[in-house]
Amino acid sequence: MSPGPLLLVAFLGLTAGTAGCRRMRFWLVATLTGCASGLAAGAWALIAGPVWDWEPGVALGGQSVHLRLDAISAFFLVLLALLGGAGSLYASEYWADRAHPASAPPGRVWWNALLGFMALVLMSANGLHFLMAWELFAVCAYFLITRERHKREVRAAGWLYLAASHTGTLCLFAFFTSLASRTGSWELGPLRDRPDLAPLFWLALFGFGVKAGLFPLHVWLPSAHANAPSHVSAILSGVAIKMGIYGLVRFSGWLPVPEAGGWVVAGLGVASAVLGVAFALGQHDLKRLLAYHSVENIGIILIGLGFALIAAARGDAAWGCLALAGGLLHVWNHGLFKGLLFLGAGSVLHATGTREMSQLGGLWRAMPRTALLFGLGAAAISGLPPLNGFVSEWLVYLGLFEAASSRGPAAWAAVPAAILLGMTGALALACFVKVCGVVFLGLPRSAAAQRAHECGPSMRAAMMLLAAACVAIGLAPVLFWPLVIRTVAAWRPEWNAAAPSVPLTTLGIVHVALALMAALAVAVLGWLVRRNGLARAVTWDCGYAAPSARMQYTAGSFAGIITGWFAWILRPRTHAQPVVGLFPKRASLDQHTPETVLEDVVEPAGSMVMRLSTAVRRLQHGRMSAYILYLLAGVAALALLAVWGGAR
Amino acid sequence: MSHGLDVLARLAFWLVLAPLVPGIINKVKAWVAGRRGPPLFQLYFDLAKLWRKGVVLSTAVSPGHVAGPAIAWVALMSAALLLPLGPAGAILSFRGDALLFVYLLALARFCTAGAALDTGSAFEGMGAAREVSYAILSEAAVITALLTLAVQTGSLSLGAMLAPAAGPGAAVLAAGLFVVLLAENCRVPFDDPNTHLELTMVHEVMVLDHSGPPLAVILHGASVKLLLFATLLVQAALPLGQWPAGPAAGLLVISLLGVAVGVGLVESLLARLAFQRVPLLLTTAFILCLFALLTSWKASTSSEARQGAMNPAECRCSGTRAAHSAALPGESGGKRA
Repeated sequence: MSPGPLLLVAFLGLTAGTAGCRRMRFWLVATLTGCASGLAAGAWALIAGPVWDWEPGVALGGQSVHLRLDAISAFFLVLLALLGGAGSLYASEYWADRAHPASAPPGRVWWNALLGFMALVLMSANGLHFLMAWELFAVCAYFLITRERHKREVRAAGWLYLAASHTGTLCLFAFFTSLASRTGSWELGPLRDRPDLAPLFWLALFGFGVKAGLFPLHVWLPSAHANAPSHVSAILSGVAIKMGIYGLVRFSGWLPVPEAGGWVVAGLGVASAVLGVAFALGQHDLKRLLAYHSVENIGIILIGLGFALIAAARGDAAWGCLALAGGLLHVWNHGLFKGLLFLGAGSVLHATGTREMSQLGGLWRAMPRTALLFGLGAAAISGLPPLNGFVSEWLVYLGLFEAASSRGPAAWAAVPAAILLGMTGALALACFVKVCGVVFLGLPRSAAAQRAHECGPSMRAAMMLLAAACVAIGLAPVLFWPLVIRTVAAWRPEWNAAAPSVPLTTLGIVHVALALMAALAVAVLGWLVRRNGLARAVTWDCGYAAPSARMQYTAGSFAGIITGWFAWILRPRTHAQPVVGLFPKRASLDQHTPETVLEDVVEPAGSMVMRLSTAVRRLQHGRMSAYILYLLAGVAALALLAVWGGAR
Repeated sequence: MSHGLDVLARLAFWLVLAPLVPGIINKVKAWVAGRRGPPLFQLYFDLAKLWRKGVVLSTAVSPGHVAGPAIAWVALMSAALLLPLGPAGAILSFRGDALLFVYLLALARFCTAGAALDTGSAFEGMGAAREVSYAILSEAAVITALLTLAVQTGSLSLGAMLAPAAGPGAAVLAAGLFVVLLAENCRVPFDDPNTHLELTMVHEVMVLDHSGPPLAVILHGASVKLLLFATLLVQAALPLGQWPAGPAAGLLVISLLGVAVGVGLVESLLARLAFQRVPLLLTTAFILCLFALLTSWKASTSSEARQGAMNPAECRCSGTRAAHSAALPGESGGKRA
């Protein structure tokens, strides 16, 4: 028995879903079957262990097809299949034919193609096919992001995504072709005894970093994630950006890494974590805020990977293993809770028609289940026990603290990283208190929020699936630990023996106890409140007789203290019409956080390139005599070069 | 069986003794001001009364308004149970429980701030915003303090980190942790528990709309948090592990009292800081912890085991010294808000 037949079923399921995209139920069943067997195949490969290698002897583009499913691929495949399944279930109701008759069926085709090509990226053992699958999945994602392309901002977001994605892919072309030319083959595999390949790591870091959305390269991410349909945002944020992480993990495991590689990755990770969450705090758009949290969580993953690389370079298996395990588990965890949060945000958007947090509020009344599930996801992403986010952050912390206790050179990086990781956690908590409070609690701030309704059963089921996975990893982390360790061992086989003993059983027991105690305390207090008698009154607002929903604290004011601290990079723009005179007519305040990197770095650079190109274009003006002069000058220059070259 | 008794004894310690700390602080404040002050056991009377009282809930709130305080209380009690108690050690000690401790405090904060936002009141929004914003800096200081202890002892469990002798940077660490204690528990100079102006409060304003048993749970949780930070501070600064069990327990109790008196004195002698100054003081606390980290790093890398040579008599006064050094930045910026 091998994962082969299961993968074949998965492939057939996705293909059948594509073929039957016009019939929603058929598509759903076929795609779910595909995802379930993909999940089974990934889990099989991760649990049972042997690497599945498949070479059918068919050539594609001059290279024979070679698929391989080892622990690292399987680790990411499990996440892909789980989120793909949840997203499909959600989409069947969220992007239904009735509401989107023109865009729903093609959307399902692109969806299935996206899942399939991402799976191919994970399994390709040939550089050329890796690039093909990479490019195809990027294009599928483009068509999914631009489902509502009658909107200008959606088109702009799609275009930015495509441009950024291709910048990264260009680097990957350079990476794979240099790799192929130096090794003489497109076949991918472990080549750690070739130190001359180490500089290629920088190309991979840029190419995969753009996809992963690490800090200065994240420019495409917020608008793409915000403007895509929510199930697409979930898979983009949960899985697609993890393809960049997969590439980094895969090739830092197979190829030698330059001495500075680990330090740079860890530094970028810390920058992404802190600045990602700082930008998130400045957002007013619910989905854009969640998108910036992807930057933050990619940062946490990269801190784990970076310290693993430092450890590998220095031969400190113990804490390197912990850091990488934490980073990898965070790949799963982030996929799960961010998927859940994006689906929850989609339900809000579906129910109210707006993503503006200043228009929302009090949604728990209309959508209590969504509010509860979103709150669970918020607690998980803030890294709170007893949920899964804490487990992976705890592992990364353990790695960092052990590195600091080792007092080697790595400690100098581990101390600031641990402190900044702590601040990231507190910042994320502030941000999610804000989101939950402003969106779901309090009073509705607009008529749209007043008219909200609970989402349907399929959408809820998809969210519950992801929430259950979050709770499962939080309460029983020890069950998932062998899978993570197996993946770590696939990354550095020599670390297999050094697998650290981590008290995850104890942590799991503490988590279960905490959950039970919390449930008991809530029950007791609720009973006591009912027993003692309950009266209702208006909120105390310093004696105002008629409190209005507009008096509530807004998202911007809530985050104001923190965005003030980060004003040096957030550069918030304020348009204020101050209160003037004794009986002021109008006063307004409008605050907006721009995309600093995009607007202050990428756009000026782009317009400079445009100006330069325009200047060069003056050379072409249609005057024949001048062209003949160019020709003569060119020939003369060549002749000079030939004479000079010949003289040497 | 004895383990069960141990758990019960500790639960009783935290449940019963925690509300004493605010009583002591209030007595000290009254004594400095020349008043008689409320009885030492005032909080117990308040809790007993609130426990029996009916509840008035805002029309805006969700069920989370009652669930939040309950979960926050459980999180604070769990964090307290993770702390070792001098010679008695901890009930449960495992590698990395120090981080669980920090994140349990974060869980409590999440629930309290969430329950505050639930009312839709702008005042409570302000309080919650301040609480979560200042917590960023104090969490950085706490993580740095834990890193200091981890570097000193090479361990990641609170039991082993707090048990041995105080490190060379103990006084600085105590000063930093004392400022964090004041900030996390919303004492002067960060917040005034006695203030009557909603606009200027942090913690008190978040609980404006709570009443009855939920308010009792919040007040008790706050006192547990105060005692918990005091216990952490005392054990991080004093070499309790070097003393025999009896004197160590006595020293622990005496120094806890000392911390409470210190808080009372700070509250009597200092004005509340303007809100703009709060981050500066918290950054000072963080830097103090960072200095402690660097000191202990330097000391432990220079190969001789100096940790044992620390004079216990010198450390005993670190509680009061902590109060003194915490007062310095407050005095410079102590403008009345």
